[in-house]
Amino acid sequence: MKYFIESKSGRTFEVEVTELGGEAMSVTIDGREISADFIDVDRRGQYAAVLDWRSFAASIEETDEQHLAVNIAGESFMMTAFDERERAAQAVAGQGPPKAELIKASMPGLIISISVAVGDELSAEASVAVLEAMKMQNEVCCQGGGVVVEVLVAVGDNVDANQPLVRLAPPEES
Amino acid sequence: MAVRKVLIANRGEIAVRIQRSCRDIGIETVAVYSDADRNALHVRYANQAFPLGGNTPAESYLRGDLIIQIAKQSGADAIHPGFGFLAENGKFANDVIAAGLQFIGPSASAMATMGDKLAARAAMIKAGVPVVPGSLEAVANADEARKQADEMGYPVMLKASAGGGGKGIRVVHAADEIESAFKTASGEAQSAFGDGRMYIEKFIVKPRHIEIQILADRHGNVVHFGERECSIQRRHQKLIEEAPSVVIDQDTREAMGNAAVEAARAVNYESAGTVEFLWSRGKFYFLEMNTRIQVEHGITEEVYNVDLIAQMIKVAGGEKVDHLAGRHPRGHAIEVRLNAEDPENNFMPSLGVVDNLRWPGGPGVRIDSGVYPSMEVTPYYDSMLAKLIAYGSNRQEARRRMLRMLQELHVGGVKTSAGIALNVLQSEEFIEGNYDTGFLERYMEEERHHGIGEEAPDDLEEIAAIVVAMHRQRAGKRRAVSSGEGVADSWVSAARREQHSRGN
Repeated sequence: MKYFIESKSGRTFEVEVTELGGEAMSVTIDGREISADFIDVDRRGQYAAVLDWRSFAASIEETDEQHLAVNIAGESFMMTAFDERERAAQAVAGQGPPKAELIKASMPGLIISISVAVGDELSAEASVAVLEAMKMQNEVCCQGGGVVVEVLVAVGDNVDANQPLVRLAPPEES
Repeated sequence: MAVRKVLIANRGEIAVRIQRSCRDIGIETVAVYSDADRNALHVRYANQAFPLGGNTPAESYLRGDLIIQIAKQSGADAIHPGFGFLAENGKFANDVIAAGLQFIGPSASAMATMGDKLAARAAMIKAGVPVVPGSLEAVANADEARKQADEMGYPVMLKASAGGGGKGIRVVHAADEIESAFKTASGEAQSAFGDGRMYIEKFIVKPRHIEIQILADRHGNVVHFGERECSIQRRHQKLIEEAPSVVIDQDTREAMGNAAVEAARAVNYESAGTVEFLWSRGKFYFLEMNTRIQVEHGITEEVYNVDLIAQMIKVAGGEKVDHLAGRHPRGHAIEVRLNAEDPENNFMPSLGVVDNLRWPGGPGVRIDSGVYPSMEVTPYYDSMLAKLIAYGSNRQEARRRMLRMLQELHVGGVKTSAGIALNVLQSEEFIEGNYDTGFLERYMEEERHHGIGEEAPDDLEEIAAIVVAMHRQRAGKRRAVSSGEGVADSWVSAARREQHSRGN
């Protein structure tokens, strides 16, 4: 199976894995073949990988099948990985209009202030609220920005993790 | 009277740390715990444990009356407050003493003077300790703050008089920022300390945060254990500390040490304490005194070969500290704070269940931790999970050991500060010791554009991509096997493993 992998830093890789029977695999990355020995140590995401005789201890955590965090020697890499079928499906799905953004609380806490109102136009990474948790006041920011269509919480509310706070419509095309 | 049994009015890493010293000097320990902490290490390691109920600090570790009652019930003769919670609460200290117990820490009056930043500044000026130029009294409101700041010239620091631990502090670069900064900082201080009074200090440009560890007994002896360099911090939350500092020579160490000793004498201090200074171009200014044991005390313990927690307990039992005077630092120690937080998401706390925990080991490694596999990181408490401390005979050895520790370490289930610490330790600025308190924020700002992991060997990202692909292949195959679509040839894998081990 061929996998299309993109790191958070924007690099892309094409990795093809061919089963040789049992646990043996042959691997090519961007067309270059490497020797790979890949042992699942504990079935909990810990791997002992030997690639071209270089040894790595790797840990993987999945958000879901396509979104994974890899830790190797203390360095973390956020990756998205699509196989051929998923990539084809994604290419079809990706042609719709830009999506609305729903800003959520990243953790449970207390809403200290809200700095936006319905109708406000927000640029990317703009602050929308201050959330107090773990004794610290943290700013909650949007990602892509847009127009505020709904404010779903009030100052003084206790919110849960992932509770929607503010809904944005996509920014108007100018 | 010597202390025999200590109730530890705290949780997490520092509660475990205090228990360890107690064990080392033959003292029994009593733990208290919230409902959320029933399984915590500090409960399991204690000789006795008593529930406080509740989850939030107010429901549990801040219940001073209940804690004193438990201390008496358990037969403890002293209470160690650790840091945070009740550690700098003068009323609690007085109540402990009134109940006939020892409080392992300074007097309420020393706390009150040093805890009120304005009173502390006044006391230091009187004692001849240099302070940062600024207001001598609280500013009434944002308008008043702007007037004073306009006169002083920007940038300025807005600080809560009751502040500490990075709360209630804002840097203000221009007049139009002062109103919102005043409101948020004052609000934060009001909610954290119940006191929203603010004052203004001149902002020292590109300072280092260097602090002196002191220890005082009740017989009038005060000794110091040199400095800790704590400039790698963000929003006044320290990330990496080291001792000694590369910019402090023996003469400066003695000058700062003596100033810190004078600061402690000025408030009749007893127990361990830390005098924080801003250092800039060879000059130092008193910033504040923390009237408690600090998070980063461990690096001082390493280079001065002293157990500060044990000394606090001995001092509370009436022992003298004069035999500890005149020591010099040996070797070098570096600490990294392992916090459950996400550096890529503005250091927001990261909640979850700790999984796949792997600690480093070997020479020069010290881990002060309260974490265990399957521990839940909750929103109720501070996000610090553990402190990693590397000791070496010199700075380079300590730095390399810390790199090795961070490479061996693995914490699954939550995001941590380990990755950013690993990068900072490899930065040119850190290697050269050329950094100030603004370094980490500037560094993060630059990192944002290319992502954490940039300083890894060029192909590590490529390795990660291969690992991801093989992981997905395996996972897909497992699913296929479990649904009966294929059968694994186990003898092939066994043969291949054998071949591999010979090849190595």
